[in-house]
Amino acid sequence: MHWINWVVVILYVTYVIVDGIRKSKGTDSLSGFFQANRSLPWWVVGLSVMATQLSAITMIGTPGQGATDGIRFVQFYFGLPIAMVILGVTLVPFLHGSGVYTAYEYLERRFDARTRSLTAFLFLLSRGMSAGTIIAAPGVVLSAIFGIPLLWAVVLIGVPTVLYTMIGGVQAVAWADVKQMFLIVFALLAIVVVLILQMPVGADEALRIAGATGRLQAFDFSFDLSETYTFWGGVIGGTFLMLSYFGTDQSQVQRYLAARSVDEARSSLLMSAYWKIPLQALVLMIGVGIFVYYQFVQPPLLFNPAHEQAVVAERGAQYGDLQQRYDEAFTLRSSAAITVADTPDGTAGAAAMEDFLAREAEIQGIRGEALAMAEEVTGEASRDVNYIVPRFALAELPIGLAGLFIAGVLAAAMSSISSELNSLATTSVIDFYRRWVRDDATDAHYLIVSKGATAFWGLFACVVATYAATLGSLIEVVNRFGSFFYGSILGVFLLAMMPAARGRGSFYGLITGMALVGAVNFGAPQVAFLWHNVIGAVTVVVVGLLLSAGQGPETPETAAAADAAGTG
Amino acid sequence: MSQEPAPDRARARAKFRRTLVRVLAVQAIALLALALLQLRYDV
Repeated sequence: MHWINWVVVILYVTYVIVDGIRKSKGTDSLSGFFQANRSLPWWVVGLSVMATQLSAITMIGTPGQGATDGIRFVQFYFGLPIAMVILGVTLVPFLHGSGVYTAYEYLERRFDARTRSLTAFLFLLSRGMSAGTIIAAPGVVLSAIFGIPLLWAVVLIGVPTVLYTMIGGVQAVAWADVKQMFLIVFALLAIVVVLILQMPVGADEALRIAGATGRLQAFDFSFDLSETYTFWGGVIGGTFLMLSYFGTDQSQVQRYLAARSVDEARSSLLMSAYWKIPLQALVLMIGVGIFVYYQFVQPPLLFNPAHEQAVVAERGAQYGDLQQRYDEAFTLRSSAAITVADTPDGTAGAAAMEDFLAREAEIQGIRGEALAMAEEVTGEASRDVNYIVPRFALAELPIGLAGLFIAGVLAAAMSSISSELNSLATTSVIDFYRRWVRDDATDAHYLIVSKGATAFWGLFACVVATYAATLGSLIEVVNRFGSFFYGSILGVFLLAMMPAARGRGSFYGLITGMALVGAVNFGAPQVAFLWHNVIGAVTVVVVGLLLSAGQGPETPETAAAADAAGTG
Repeated sequence: MSQEPAPDRARARAKFRRTLVRVLAVQAIALLALALLQLRYDV
C-alpha cells in the first residue's frame, strides 16, 4: 500500500485514541462510565447503535456476498424495522425507566437472582467469543493483504480500541461510534463513486448483466424453513432475532440506557429502523457493481493473496495451467458481456445472454477449481469472498481514499468491539462482581474494577482473535451454541412484561427453550437458524406461563407489574 | 416512566406515531425500489 495510505490509517488510529481520552470527562463515577450519566442525545445513541451492529464483516464480507451471491441477503433485515417499533413501545420504556445498568439486572428485580445470573453468564460466554471473532475477521484479511503477521493486525485493531474504551467508558465509545459511522459511510460512498466513474458500461447495461446472473433477486417468497434468506424468514425469524439482539443483548441495550430520556432512547432505535435496510441494500449493491466491473476488467483468479502465493509456491505448474484457462475464458466472457450490453432485448438479446451465461459458468468452474486447490494446499477454508472488496479498493481507489477505506474497515471493527468490551465489563462488574463478590464498595473502587474488566476482556478478545485459526472449531461451537439461547433470552424478557409470569417459570422456561432449540438444531439441522429464535422465544413464554400459573406475587416488581395490569 | 403528565404522554405518543409513519414510508420506498429492480432486470 502507498505510504500516503498508511499515513491516513495511522492518523485515524491516533485520532481515535486522542478523541477517546478527550471524551473521558465526567466518567469518574460508575454512572458516568457505564451510562454517560444518561446524557447522550438520541442521534449519538442512534449512530452508536448502528455502528455497533455494523462490523468489519459488513464492510468486507457483505459486499463480497453481493458480488458472489447477489442482494438476497437484504431479506435478513426485513424484521429490523418491525422489531425496533415493537421495542420502542415495550422493552425500551421498561429498561430505561427502571434505572438499571444492565438488562439482566432488571430480571432479578422482576424474577430472581438465578435468572439474572444465567442470562448474564450466557451473554458473557457468547459476546466474549464474538469480540474475538470480530477482531479476527478483518485481522486475517488485513494480514493476508499486507503480508503482515496476524498478531500485528490484531494489535492494530485491538489495542487502540481497548485504550479508548478503558479510559472513556460508554461516552467515549458512543462518540467514537458517531465519527466511525461517518467514516464507514464515506468509505462506502467513495467506492460507489469510483464504480460509477469507472464502469465501462451504462447503468442499464450493468443492471442487465447483474440481473442475468440472478444477482438482483431481492425477494424470495417461498416458505422454506431450510432457506436462511427468504422474505418470511426475514420478516418473522428476523423480527425475533432483532428483538432479541436490540432488546436483550447488553452490547445494544447499554447504548440506549445512556440516552437522556425514554423518548430519546426510542428515537435512537428508530434511526436504525429508518436506515438499516437502505444501507444494507447499498452495501450489497456495491458488491453487485464490483461483480459487473470485473466482467470487463480482469480480476485475480484468487482474491486472497496469501492463498495465491501458497498455491503458486506448491503447485506452480498446475496453477499456471489453470491461470491460462482462466485468461482465455475471461476474454471470451468479457466479449459476451459487451455483446449483452450492446444487444437490445429480443431474440438476438436472448442468444447473447445465453452465450454470456455459458461463459460465466465456465469462469465459475475454473474459479471453483482454484479455490479447491487453495483449500487443499493451505488446509484452510478459502473465504475468498472476504478479499474481493479490499482488493478492489486498494487497486481502484485513488491514493488517500484507499487508505481511508482501510481506516473505514478498522473503524467498523473498532465500533463493534468497543461496545462489546464496554458491555462485557458492565455485566462482569454489575451482574457478578457487585452482585456476588462485593456490594458495598465505593464508586472509585468499582471504577477501577470496571477498567480492569475492560482490559481483561480486550486481552481475551485479542488472544481469541490471534488463535482464531486454531480455535476455529471452538468458536463455531460457541457461535452455534449462542443461537440456542438468543431467542430463549428474548422469551424471558417477554415474560418479564407479563404480570402472570414468576421467577420459577421464567428460569425453567429458559432452560426448556434452550434445550428445545438445541434438539431442533441437532435433530432437524435443515431448519435455518433464524427460525431458532422464534422456537426459543415461544417455548420460553409458553412453558414460563404454564409453570407460573397460580403463584402469588414474589417480588415488589412482580406485584407492581400485577398492579399495573389490574391483576394483583 | 409512567410518571409523565398526561399531556406530555399524549404528545410523546403523537410524535411516536408520526415517526412510525415516516419509518414505514422509508421502508416502503426501499422495498419498492428493490422490487422494481428485480422485476425489471432479474431473468
